[in-house]
Formats: sequence, structure tokens, C-alpha cells
Amino acid sequence: MTLRVWWDEPADGPCNMAADELLAAEASDCGTVCMRIYGWQPATVSLGGFQRGVDARAERSIAGVPIVRRPSGGGAIVHGSDLTYAAAVPKTHPWGGRPQLLYDALHEAMRQSLGAFGVEVVLWRPAETVVAPVAGERFFCFDRRSSGDLVVGGPGAADGLGHKVMGSAQRRLAATVLQHGSLLLRRNLDVAPAASHPGLDDLIGGGFPAAAVRPLVSAWIAAVAGALGTEVVEESGRFRDEQVVREKAREFASERWTWRR
Amino acid sequence: MAAAMKFAKSHEWARPEESGLVTVGISAYAVEALTDLVFMQLPDVGRHVKAGESLGEIESVKAVSDVYAPVSGEVVEVNTALPGALETLGRDPYGSGWLVRLRPADVADMAALLDQPAYDALVKSQPH
Repeated sequence: MTLRVWWDEPADGPCNMAADELLAAEASDCGTVCMRIYGWQPATVSLGGFQRGVDARAERSIAGVPIVRRPSGGGAIVHGSDLTYAAAVPKTHPWGGRPQLLYDALHEAMRQSLGAFGVEVVLWRPAETVVAPVAGERFFCFDRRSSGDLVVGGPGAADGLGHKVMGSAQRRLAATVLQHGSLLLRRNLDVAPAASHPGLDDLIGGGFPAAAVRPLVSAWIAAVAGALGTEVVEESGRFRDEQVVREKAREFASERWTWRR
Repeated sequence: MAAAMKFAKSHEWARPEESGLVTVGISAYAVEALTDLVFMQLPDVGRHVKAGESLGEIESVKAVSDVYAPVSGEVVEVNTALPGALETLGRDPYGSGWLVRLRPADVADMAALLDQPAYDALVKSQPH
């Protein structure tokens, strides 16, 4: 088994979700772990699979921002100042078992990689003395906490919850597990403050320059491959032909999908 | 658990009833692996499903998962109380935590499912 990685150009929400679903199919077809690293153009809000549309429409801080619904769970994420990844793992792989396994594996690899860049983050775990925001109570993903989230500040922060800088969510398909996640690089200044969460550049003393992002992600991918006990195969070019992705993206752009709840 | 209950590899269970219907749910292992459940969407009565086809979705804190029909058939009953009381799945996954009842299209579908010992072996082989 290898770890196949594509670095894609920024795309709009429906195209990104379409490409992620095609990535899951690729992982199933080739029987190996596949990852896609990408960005968003324009800035977009991705909703969790079953987040209520009425809540999205009522959230004034994201008024006018394009919305796409993810196939995975979790809360809303404002994309544009983050780094997004998708990982697809065959269910026959150990990481394709319990949801927490893949979540922890990828987040632990990022924790280690950030540590090598001098950035201390922890995998958040619920403690008896800290009451985490219940999933359904908070609209934005980065206002929620679940086991394995990467946080800066950790239990020592005032509320015991720290600042969440990386979260992920899964869609468990018939043959593969698709996990996508977001690493906040800096506050998104294109949205209202309520929708803008601090990222690495805001939280780390001395900042986290843009030039460090690609080396960080490369280190992270290497760490993931190390945890898998395999080698990285960096694929050239975009993951899929643009026409194929756009065809698939129609489903994710449809009103029926976007406002299904 | 009823001796006649059988399991799909995707962790749904199917129990033939005296009425001829098949009651469908998800196993205790699946419920426990998903952790905290937050939402469930079940099919409409009257929908026809094929074995292996998604008949609903369940969201936990970590993941959205499809629930697959273990046998082909028509949805004739839905446990409409369940989405509003998801804790039932953890408390009684093989009883009051049932999801749907199907009028099976092909009685041979049950033969393709795993019996209890085979399912127990499958669960034991899963990574933890």
C-alpha cells in the first residue's frame, strides 16, 4: 500500500466536494490511501452533512458567502484562510475501522509536524472538569470540541478548551472512509468576526508565515506515511480532469442537496 | 437476542418476524463505534430498497454513516420515534432501537447474511 497525494489548485465548494467524493472512489478502486490537499476560491462556508439550512440562513456573520454542504458530519467551516485536506482510506485498512482511529492518526501526525516547526498543539480530550460545547449547540466547527481536535492552549486555557486550530469530519461510505479536515492558518478577514476564528498565524508568537505552510504539509504527509509504514507517491497534475469534476459538482451545487435539511 | 437474527458485514442486523416482515437495525458494535449520535435520517414508508443500498444515514460527532439495507424489500414501517431519542440505540439496539421493517423481496437474501457466531468473529477481527 502507498500513500498517494495530490496537490490541487483552489476551487469552489461544489468542485471541492465532488473531487473529494471521486477521491474516495479512487481509494476504493486502487486499494490504497489517497490524500488531496486543496484550497477554496471563492471563500466558502461548508456545512456539515445534516446541519440545518435554517441555521445557516439565520447566521448573519456569513451572509453573502457561498455555501456548500459536505457529505461529512460536524459543524460549519469558513474556508479561504485555512488549509483543507481530504483523505480516503479503504475500510479494509485498520484506519478504516472505528472513526476515532483515522481521526487520531491524521491529527497526531499533524501535532508532531507542527511540533517540529516549534508550534505546540495538543490533541484535545474531554476531561471531567471541562464541559465541551455540545455538538448541536454551536454552529461553527471551530466553536465545538470533540476528542482528537488539535488545540492551542489546551486545558491550561481559561475555559479549559483552548483554541481549536484543526478539526476533521468523516463520511463513512460502503468501501471507504472519507475524512476531510481544516487547519486554520489565520483569521478570515472576508467574513464578520463571529465567523472568523484565530489560526496559527494569530495564535503563535511571531506568527506562522505563509512560506512555512507547504513545508509543514509536506512534513505532515511524511509523518502520515511513516505511521502507515509506507511511502509517499506525489501525483503530478490535478487529481481529476476539470470536466469530470464539474460534472460531479452539479450534485453538490444543487438546491436539493444544499438545503436537504 | 432471537436466534433467527442475522447480520450484514456493514453491521446492520435483520430479524425475520412471524408476520413475514424483516425488522432491521444496527448492531451494538456499530452504535458503540460511532460514539455520540446526533442525528438520524430514515427512509419513507413505501420506498423500495435493494440489499446493500443505503436506506438511511446516521450522524455521530465524528462521522456520517450510511445504514445499508441487509435485504431487499419495501419499507412498510419506520421507527419514527427513534431520531428524537437516539439514546435508545445505545440502550436497546436489538429491541426498541429498531430502524425499519421491510417486506422482503427475496427470502434468499437472509441466507447471504452472517449468523451470530460469524458476526461475532467479524467484530473480534476489527481494529480497536
